[in-house]
Amino acid sequence: MASKFGLAGGIPERRVRPIWDAIDSRQFKNALKQSTTLLSKFPNSPYALALKALILERMGKPDEALTVCLSAKDLLYKNDSVLMDDLTLSTLQIVFQRLDHLDLATSCYEYACGKFPNNLELMMGLFNCYVREYSFVKQQQTAIRMYKLVGEERFLLWAICSIQLQVFCGNGGEKLLLLAEGLIKKHVASHSLHEPEALIVYISVLEQQAKYGDALEILSGKLGSLLMIEVDKLRIQGRLLARAGDYAAAASIFQKILELCPDDWECFLHYLGCLLEDDSNWSNGVLNDPIHPPKFIDCKLSHLADEVFDSCMSNAVAFIQKLQADTSNNILRGPYLANLEVERRKHLYGKGDDDKIMEALMQYFFRFGHLACFTSDVEVYLEVLTHDKKTEFLEKLMKSSESNSAVPTKELGKSITLLKVQELIGKMYRLPKSELEGSAVQMAEMYCKNLPLSKDLDPQESMHGEELLSMVCNILVQLFWRTGDLGYFVEAIMVLEFGLSIRRFVWQYKILLLHLYSHMGALSLAYEWYKSLDVKNILMESVSHHILPQMLVSPLWVDLNNLLKDYLKFMDDHFRESADLTFLAYRHRNYSKVIEFVQFKERLQHSNQYLVARVEAPILQLKKNADNVEEAECVLDSLKCGIHFLELSNEIGSKSLTFNEDLQSRPWWTPTSEKNYLLGPFEGISYCPRENLTKEREANLRRVIERKSLLPRMVYLSIQSASTLLKENIEVNGSVSDPKISSELKILLERYVKLLGLSLSDAIEVVVGVSSGIKPSSAITPDLIDWLNFAVFLNAWNLSSHELAQPDGEGHRPGTWHIVDSLLEKYISEVVRSIDPIICAPWIDLPNLVQLVTEPLAWHSLVLQSCVRSSLPSGKKKKKGGQDLSNSPLTHAIRESIQSLYGTVENVMKWLREQIKRPEDENLETILSFVQKTGQNEGPGQVFKILETYVSSVNDAELGERISEAVKSWSPADVARKIITGKCTVLSEFLKICESKFKSLKTLKQQISQV
Amino acid sequence: MTTIRRFCCNDLLRFTSVNLDHLTETFNMSFYMTYLARWPDYFHVAEAPGNRIMGYIMGKVEGQGECWHGHVTAVTVAPEYRRQQLAKKLMNLLEDISDKIDKAYFVDLFVRASNTPAIKMYEKLGYVIYRRVLRYYSGEEDGLDMRKALSRDVEKKSIIPLKRPITPDELEYD
Repeated sequence: MASKFGLAGGIPERRVRPIWDAIDSRQFKNALKQSTTLLSKFPNSPYALALKALILERMGKPDEALTVCLSAKDLLYKNDSVLMDDLTLSTLQIVFQRLDHLDLATSCYEYACGKFPNNLELMMGLFNCYVREYSFVKQQQTAIRMYKLVGEERFLLWAICSIQLQVFCGNGGEKLLLLAEGLIKKHVASHSLHEPEALIVYISVLEQQAKYGDALEILSGKLGSLLMIEVDKLRIQGRLLARAGDYAAAASIFQKILELCPDDWECFLHYLGCLLEDDSNWSNGVLNDPIHPPKFIDCKLSHLADEVFDSCMSNAVAFIQKLQADTSNNILRGPYLANLEVERRKHLYGKGDDDKIMEALMQYFFRFGHLACFTSDVEVYLEVLTHDKKTEFLEKLMKSSESNSAVPTKELGKSITLLKVQELIGKMYRLPKSELEGSAVQMAEMYCKNLPLSKDLDPQESMHGEELLSMVCNILVQLFWRTGDLGYFVEAIMVLEFGLSIRRFVWQYKILLLHLYSHMGALSLAYEWYKSLDVKNILMESVSHHILPQMLVSPLWVDLNNLLKDYLKFMDDHFRESADLTFLAYRHRNYSKVIEFVQFKERLQHSNQYLVARVEAPILQLKKNADNVEEAECVLDSLKCGIHFLELSNEIGSKSLTFNEDLQSRPWWTPTSEKNYLLGPFEGISYCPRENLTKEREANLRRVIERKSLLPRMVYLSIQSASTLLKENIEVNGSVSDPKISSELKILLERYVKLLGLSLSDAIEVVVGVSSGIKPSSAITPDLIDWLNFAVFLNAWNLSSHELAQPDGEGHRPGTWHIVDSLLEKYISEVVRSIDPIICAPWIDLPNLVQLVTEPLAWHSLVLQSCVRSSLPSGKKKKKGGQDLSNSPLTHAIRESIQSLYGTVENVMKWLREQIKRPEDENLETILSFVQKTGQNEGPGQVFKILETYVSSVNDAELGERISEAVKSWSPADVARKIITGKCTVLSEFLKICESKFKSLKTLKQQISQV
Repeated sequence: MTTIRRFCCNDLLRFTSVNLDHLTETFNMSFYMTYLARWPDYFHVAEAPGNRIMGYIMGKVEGQGECWHGHVTAVTVAPEYRRQQLAKKLMNLLEDISDKIDKAYFVDLFVRASNTPAIKMYEKLGYVIYRRVLRYYSGEEDGLDMRKALSRDVEKKSIIPLKRPITPDELEYD
């Protein structure tokens, strides 16, 4: 910045430079001092003021900065003689932007451009302002003005991009593209084009209007020479021809590309598609979901006559053979996988020959069977085979791999491939238990046996055979699911920890482990491993799903807070800076990136995870402050009493959500964060596909977000509703609270239960029924937390509306209080009872318990606090002899409710303390006893035994010092201790939360007893 | 079986399996997007069947006069696709663009002095150690500036090794 200016606003550079130097070196105090001196010399210089504002903003004084900025703006507007240069304006712009006042910056530029209509620099500044505001129409108008002024190609293209943005990201109709085309055409006629990117935009404008012929003509004309890389040009040509339906010509273009790049797989698919006149690749234009492209390529073949199909196929085969013959490089997989694709198409056409597919698979295996990507390469082709054929293929593979390869690493690679194929075709999981155990043992042995191959590798390099331990873990978890035997589960953990003590960088192990620990309830340990993945920046969007959902229902509030804060900061920072980067693309004439950047920003803005985090962050603050109603009110104040989230809740229905999570890396038993097979009974699924459940997830998440974002407002209204309850001098049961509160709360209650699928009256019936035992618990258990929240808010609403004030038989206990108390008591004690006391058992219900205490119970305690507060004399006023509330039914109910909550929390604390104080030795023994089963030759512990034996007989010379030390460092007892600590950490954190609630309830008890 | 194409923003959401590798840095968004906005021809991704990301290269072109050169900022390949010469292919692509389109004099890159496997690989690709940059990585580890001359540098002047190591503040570019 400091080097950019000459004379600014009439101020000589030598006076300004030291200020910029001070700013650049972050000496803001010094900078401010100098700027004050400058202002005393140039009191009417907007630039000097802008500088001061900038310094103030950097010093963290936004209000002062804004005032100074505004006076600079006034000066600019008032004084006609004042210089209006880009430096002054861009400095002001920076400050306005940082103060979230883009509009003010824009109006400064608009004013300046009005005053100096022919100043290109100012117009560029104005264009930039519109880019920041995503005002595509104004961008277009400004770019056209610049283009008219100087006739430069770039400004024309700025306008064209702005038009495309209106069509793709705004409300502009496609007719606008015709305008864009006309503008370029006219320019080309008089000036031609000079930039490759300009040509690409031109072609895209034509393509978007389906004018493929015109686009092809331009590409093959003089302008085509702008594209310097031949293959790039051919790719566009092939695409245009195919989209125009000229498949024969397109196929020959793709053939040409393949001759130049024989390994280009996508191109091969295009080639084959065009040969078969299959338009399914082209008709949609773009992939539906560019983040999760489908594994299986759609094909349309039925329209072809038999002989046409045959001749196409034989052409393809001939071409493939030529490609294979021409490539001396035997690492290229493309030309060989091509055979398989041809066979697959034949199969789809109904002329498949399973033996040929198998033969092609075998051939591919002979060449590439040792590669780690073999299985993922052939996955689609294996799917074509029937179950029996798959098994036959596997047998063939086994037989063929008996012949040993000379290179041990290749040999190992092939063996692993063999196992992976078994896993892939689901054979593994159909094996009887003992054989399945046998497979795991075999894998573990293979891993150990081959460790010496990695002796000379750099410690950072991935080692040979690392995948084996992941596969062992998969099998052990499968066995756990099948038998319910915890031993397998503990064993899986031990195996992965073993792998990580040998090389601590294997992220695949870490992800598996973090899910195992999460499932076990040792979430703090899971989080440790998650942290070691160093997930940052954009990875937070694609990888956080591994941990975030579990953390949201955990008592690890400090960690959760960090997780949410970092993630939201990353996203919000990106939204803030994205437009500046878009402008950078404009400036560097990389027009195609302009649209990409804007679309990407929108994709992130609609991220389901981002919306969840935005709602959960304030809810976490409320939870943290729920033991002190004043603090909770402060949080609510900062949330505008929850109004903002109501808006989000209203909008969410019409918003399209995006799913940017990388689900491929999830373990088989939990293909999405909503699904965990281990929670249900064994289903015997042999193949666990990572289903693309986006549609279902979207509907579900929309409901979750809509419901969650009602919470802050409902909590606020509930507190309000209770806030005047025990005020003096009011009639018993007479309400002084604002009727608006009760009517709004009613509307929200209606919405809340509508999302649970019921009307308000039906929902009331449900909670009344369940609390009194007339209806079964199962009526509310699937959405237990939501139902209990509902009961709490229902009671709060009833405090001011009295619509449901039906006392029970004895006539002194309002019904809704009782409903809340009994439901909380019942479910919390039920959950506590259901949790398996064994230390390494999965505490599936613990998150439920945590949620019950930190959500409905906490909201109810806020209602109680608000009630009790209303009874306290305000200020120093002495209690007047008004009505005695101490014996009113209401006071009674409140008193009982406090007592009930108090008892419930006390019980939870008792249970937690019991768990925590259990002696470590006892726990340690329990855990180890699951895997150390001497003398047994089946059941859990077989793999563990292999590892223990290996560790005790490790050969230093063979393994090298580094690896052998690492192997020896694995200590099952340490792992067990870690598990204990991990679980106890979660319990202790929860205990702290309970203790704080307990304390707050105790105070309430004392206060209410004095009413 | 590799489709090499320009890297685009959506790939940032799909390169997880490549970037979870601890040796691959995940930069902040403005870093990636600045490269995309300024040097899109220097940012390429390789895809396998099923649209799996195999690896990618990012780089830029900069410098004045005879120092006009291509720079490799990052090149990385997912473990599943290693030992197939993919890095070489990506490097050749960047060298080609620097050479033929931008007419640069050389291509350079920085590597941790301790990263022997990588240094060996670059040497195989024709790079030589041009100079050592002291404490280049977070003020701790030395970096090696490796270079490969392109056709425009007929006498291969750009790669004559410097005799003494330099400090990061002596570097011409960031």
